[in-house]
Amino acid sequence: MGHLELKNLSVQFGGLKAVNNLDLSVAQGELRCLLGPNGAGKSTTLDLICGKTAATSGQILFEGRDITGLSEHRRARLGIGRKFQTPSVFKELTVLENMEIARSQNPGILASGFVFRTHIRGRLKEVLELVELKDHVHTKAGNLSHGQTQWLEIAMLLIQDAKLILMDEPTAGMTIQETRRTGEIFNSLKGHHTMIVVEHDMTFVRQIAETVTVMELGALLAQGSIEEIENDPKVRAAYLGNEVANHA
Amino acid sequence: MNRTFKTDCIGYALFAILLLVVIPWAVSFDGFALNTYARYLALGMVAMALALSWGYAGILNLGQAVPFALGAYIMAMHLKLQASAHMPGGLPDFMGWTNVEALPWFWQPFHSLPVTLIAGIAVPVALAALLAVFMFRGRITGVFVAIITLAFLVAVQLVFIEEQRYTGGQNGLTGLAPLQLLGWRVDNYSTQFYYLVAVCLMTSLAIGLALVRSKVGLVLKAIREDASRVRFFGYDVARYETLAFCTSAAIAGWAGMLYVLVLEFASPTYMGVAFSLAIVIWCAVGGRESLVAAALGGIIVNLLEGRLSDMFVDGWTFFLGALFIVVVLVAPRGLFGLVQSAVRHAGKTIRSERGGARARWLATGMGARRIDNGGR
Repeated sequence: MGHLELKNLSVQFGGLKAVNNLDLSVAQGELRCLLGPNGAGKSTTLDLICGKTAATSGQILFEGRDITGLSEHRRARLGIGRKFQTPSVFKELTVLENMEIARSQNPGILASGFVFRTHIRGRLKEVLELVELKDHVHTKAGNLSHGQTQWLEIAMLLIQDAKLILMDEPTAGMTIQETRRTGEIFNSLKGHHTMIVVEHDMTFVRQIAETVTVMELGALLAQGSIEEIENDPKVRAAYLGNEVANHA
Repeated sequence: MNRTFKTDCIGYALFAILLLVVIPWAVSFDGFALNTYARYLALGMVAMALALSWGYAGILNLGQAVPFALGAYIMAMHLKLQASAHMPGGLPDFMGWTNVEALPWFWQPFHSLPVTLIAGIAVPVALAALLAVFMFRGRITGVFVAIITLAFLVAVQLVFIEEQRYTGGQNGLTGLAPLQLLGWRVDNYSTQFYYLVAVCLMTSLAIGLALVRSKVGLVLKAIREDASRVRFFGYDVARYETLAFCTSAAIAGWAGMLYVLVLEFASPTYMGVAFSLAIVIWCAVGGRESLVAAALGGIIVNLLEGRLSDMFVDGWTFFLGALFIVVVLVAPRGLFGLVQSAVRHAGKTIRSERGGARARWLATGMGARRIDNGGR
């Protein structure tokens, strides 16, 4: 049984079936890449898992528990974290305040009422050093560069320490070096965290991928190792055709 | 977090000095003047309560006057019963005029002062909680919250005016007895009474500051910016919003009780649209991002109103409108925003002055010579 299982999952927006009878199983500690052409339903799948969008039919099982009907914050409390396509940090708050929000192991009101200070030590210090934001803790997030903002959001995910991390194009707008370092971080998270990554950058996918799932028109098209996927004629036809040609 | 904490302490201390020392001294402890100031303080307290929900959580509550007026009416009911003790059946005079036979059940508990004091806060909170659950569980935000709270305000006022038999209708509750607090007959024209109101304001301010400076305040600020993102970190957004809304209502109810003690009557104008919107203006003028500033806004605008309405009578409202327009156009963050940017500017000037002095010192060669000497 997988850590996360999608069973016959569908969602319909008006007449459009954005996700259509999708079955997916991701093992504990696995890093799964989700590929597919624009409009394939990759982001919508992540939305369904984290609760941003409600499923029309089907089931989502997380650690064997049916979470299909749970609200977003309940799913987050079970250990599902999400990084959005556009960096969504709190621009009006400082880096440290953003981290305090992300440090959400006790999200209740009573627990929050007794927290007055964020101490930069332990895991928080490690993470800030890892993403090189330790010297900017009092900077407003809105004044960070684009790359730093991406790093901040990754740092927030790390400190949230979610068991399942959903990431939508985590390297968008990053330089080659930054992308490579992101890949290294993701590789180091393998085994401890289950991750689903939606990504277009094939170099990055090759760096991190174990199993790749390809979607088309809201349904599963192919699944396998990166080599299998690149050699799959269906995938080549649907999506990778140009990419592979370019890289060859 | 630390730096803002320091600013808070300074602001709070200065405010305390202003209320407890400067104002009483400035009016040379004159009871009549202090009564006027006690009124301003009670109004400053409501403005502060609004800043708690509007400034921090982004909940623009146009019905802030509801909890205020409820607190006021509850206190007035207690005092009215005290004043009516000698009447047949202990019935308030206006009930006699409207042929009410016996004291209604919801008036009964207010014979007791402890019940009154608790209810003056608990009833506004309960009503706010009801409204909050409906709004925030339904994920209603922004301008829709403003519309709902405004409609709620109008509805509540209508009930109080229509039910004249029980509420005194348009006249409100007048002819109140003075409050007997632990054997002390509260004289609202005394220095002691002024200090009672001032201490209440300082206490509620401390409670408010503790709330917004804890992580709760941080989560509220985050919710104001992006509520759905906060949900994905596991926070129950509706619950946090409800807390802010209800705390705000509690402080407003408390202020309402004090207000009745100051003015010795309760009137449905306390829950009027004009009054409720005026609270928003005070809060905006002071600066809704700071509780101290919002309280000051309430005090300053009412002080101005007191002075200007002596000169211009009703023409004063034009000044109020103009003031609001100017604030929105020139200083959308209120006086607090102006002070903050002035302080920041001054800080920069001082720093660059120091830099300039250092540069001149180096340019004259003094610095170089010193270093040479040190070398030898």
